[in-house]
Amino acid sequence: MSKIREQFQAGEGELASSPEADPKAYEVFIQLTRGQPHVHTGTVDAVDDKMALEYARKHYGRDQACVHMWVVAREAMISAGYGDDIIWPLTDQDYRLARGYAADVRRKWEQFRSKEDVDRYQKEDIKDAF
Amino acid sequence: MSAGVTSSEELRIDWKIQEDPDRMAAFQAHIDAKGLVEADDWMPHNYRVGMLRMAEHHANSEIVGALPEGEWITRAPSLRRKLALVAKVQDEVGHGQMLYRTSQDLGKSRDQMLRDLVTGKTRYHNVFNYPAPTWADVAMIQWLVDGAAILNQKSLAEGSYGPYVRTMKRINMEEAFHFKSGEDMVLTLMSGTKRQRQMAQEAFDRWWGPCLMFFGPPDRESTKTGPFMTWRIKTATNDTLREAYVDRFAPAARALGLNIHLARKNPDGLIAVKADGTPDKIEDPLIRLDESTGHWGFTQPDWDEFYRVIGGDGPCNKQRVALRRFSYEQGRWVRQAVMGCAGLPPSRN
Ligand SMILES: [Fe+2]
Ligand SMILES: [Fe+2]
Repeated sequence: MSKIREQFQAGEGELASSPEADPKAYEVFIQLTRGQPHVHTGTVDAVDDKMALEYARKHYGRDQACVHMWVVAREAMISAGYGDDIIWPLTDQDYRLARGYAADVRRKWEQFRSKEDVDRYQKEDIKDAF
Repeated sequence: MSAGVTSSEELRIDWKIQEDPDRMAAFQAHIDAKGLVEADDWMPHNYRVGMLRMAEHHANSEIVGALPEGEWITRAPSLRRKLALVAKVQDEVGHGQMLYRTSQDLGKSRDQMLRDLVTGKTRYHNVFNYPAPTWADVAMIQWLVDGAAILNQKSLAEGSYGPYVRTMKRINMEEAFHFKSGEDMVLTLMSGTKRQRQMAQEAFDRWWGPCLMFFGPPDRESTKTGPFMTWRIKTATNDTLREAYVDRFAPAARALGLNIHLARKNPDGLIAVKADGTPDKIEDPLIRLDESTGHWGFTQPDWDEFYRVIGGDGPCNKQRVALRRFSYEQGRWVRQAVMGCAGLPPSRN
């Protein structure tokens, strides 16, 4: 055991809370490839923005090939959702989605074109946009 | 976020500007390697202005594009169609919001953009200067115009400006709904009564020409394509997109029983009527599949009409801009109230 630890005199009783208080929480969003969206990856605690950025780089920027990050103080974020706060209404919203029309359109096309023609048309359709 | 240009004086294309050659070379190399440019990256002045103009024009088109269809919300033929039309119009205005945001980061203020649209300093897409007199026009707009928009926006999603590219991808998801619901409406009309089929044919006759013009003038007349293609602000030429459009829609229309006509139009955008009372139109003699190329032939739209309408003399130009001015002026107190509230101390909010 080191000399310092040998000679250390432990105090007794409750510890007073330290005056500097806790660091703040910062949320970290990383971008794995340029051009792709930033995705939330975790949180760091830091006393100021500079330290938060440094921690975020070290902590979340090195376990995968991260190219960019956003670090935001949690207190600056606002949020919604869960519980009674429903974001996507539970009523039928089919009418505002392409897939809400897919079956009808298919059935109606088959009155005008053969099945194979509809297949071919749908294949070159704007598929990746659906 | 952006290094931004601030006064509208600086928002002009100027090919005489000498950019730093090293930066230019690095920028071009990044673009050639399919890299994306972000709002706070260095970019040449003309890239910024070209991109801003395109995004702003696109934003203007989204909000003006909502006007002809918005007129039909109260007259939709069923509750489901009404819900869909409300959702569609709401989407378009939302596209405008996203695109104004993208444009703001390129250096022009939102209020300036809204004012420039109203005062005619900037334009919106030509196709929205045509009237939508029947419900079948609503169907044709969603099928033919949104179909053209998807084709165009899919090519723009291959561009080089990151914020715009990501906006295009999001927008296209919603456009897919517009297109499918439009297709459903057209299919419904074409499998309906004789009167419904005729209404669809008449609306088709009104929209086919403007849709061919949608992709812009023929490449030989389009002056700005060159450098903007090298920077991937544009990724496909007008004629290429137009050809792809005809290849897709000409056979589909014909399968549905719609004829593709060359029609003479009155100044109000409706098809002219001959002395005997029948519409002044003939079938487009060039519409057929060319087996050797795999492409469909078609007659070029009336480019004189295109330039005339773009110049301000189209059937609905005045009406559309007047409605924008109305909302800008009538909405002023709302904007002021909102901005005022946001500035109040929390206790009074
Ligand atoms: Fe749109
Ligand atoms: Fe749309």
